[in-house]
Amino acid sequence: MRPILLQGHERSLTQIKFNREGDLLFSCSKDHIINVWFTHNGERLGTYDGHNGTVWTVDVDSNSEFMVSGSADNTLRLWNVATGKCLFKWEFPTAVKRVAFNEDDDQVVCITEQRMGHQGAIRVFNINREGDGTKQSKEPLYMFHPIGSKATVCAFSFQPGIIITGHESGKIALFDVKTGDEVNNNERAHNDVVTDLQLSPDRTYFITSSKDKSARLHDTKSLMVLKTYPTETPLNSAALAPKRPYVLLGGGQEAMSVTTTSLRQGKFETRFWHKIFEEEVGRVKGHFGPVNTIAVHPAGTTYASGGEDGFVRVHHFDDSYWRAKPYGDLEILE
Amino acid sequence: EDAAQESTVSAELIAHRKRLVDEWNAWRSRCKEDLMQERKAKGKGVDGEKHAEEAKEEIE
Repeated sequence: MRPILLQGHERSLTQIKFNREGDLLFSCSKDHIINVWFTHNGERLGTYDGHNGTVWTVDVDSNSEFMVSGSADNTLRLWNVATGKCLFKWEFPTAVKRVAFNEDDDQVVCITEQRMGHQGAIRVFNINREGDGTKQSKEPLYMFHPIGSKATVCAFSFQPGIIITGHESGKIALFDVKTGDEVNNNERAHNDVVTDLQLSPDRTYFITSSKDKSARLHDTKSLMVLKTYPTETPLNSAALAPKRPYVLLGGGQEAMSVTTTSLRQGKFETRFWHKIFEEEVGRVKGHFGPVNTIAVHPAGTTYASGGEDGFVRVHHFDDSYWRAKPYGDLEILE
Repeated sequence: EDAAQESTVSAELIAHRKRLVDEWNAWRSRCKEDLMQERKAKGKGVDGEKHAEEAKEEIE
């Protein structure tokens, strides 16, 4: 499983995302740039130029037609995937930390940061797919300010009108977009900042990672913790592996001194855990700094990790990954 | 004796894992049922059927 190294970012990666077919990988970084790559050979297809600050977050619709990005330059942008053109720009008083499309690709949810007299906000925008995509409404369809702990991650639930959020305190919650009411929460989902949230294909469950060194699987409706994956390092990302009963976790503590750095070269790992049995099954090392973001190909054939080191590593799983049955012949539903 | 003990342990472990998988599969089945209801209520019958077809293809 020799990885393909994607070299095109000059600073650390913040988020990576496969499109639905899995032939493209989008990456965003503190270097203000968004790149798109062919996953089979690691060639760069293009660059989305325009942000004037760290690009914190990116998401692509299911047709690979539109892409959205959020940045420290206080803008949310809509892009044409094929041409690289910025179609629309929404401006806010603070940075955009997280964006996500809904299942129907006609809405986008975003989190803007709480900072100096500005409350953190969650906004939902309609995406007008008619024409060339440049005619968008400046005003959000819905907007609310979650009370209490800041929201750090968000996504649309499978239930209409419900947004799932992860918070700085470790809380996860469900919000009604129309009223802004918190309709359900689990205050003790984690004990520290929730750093990532990725949904199962049907959105009925999701995985979160946290600085509390664990990742957890939750039921989308009840927010009950289904599984816990405890590690010994703060986690930045957690992903579900389609077609195999695994979850992938990434994180790591930045080495503080030069001497420890030289010892830890290439030692930052992506950890594979058995989704059901909550046991670690393997590790893949390679990054020279903490793993910031992990994504798995929708068909489960490939995974990619983006690091604090500025690299994206793309791994195509080999036959042994598909043949391996570390815990026998039990059939596990997706 | 050790070997006998080991085999009991592993038998227990296997039973434990089987139980975890059974619980998981039962929960997944309930979820899928729930989701179908939700989609019907949302008036997304066509989409739901499409998803069901996709799922069938995967199984084949």
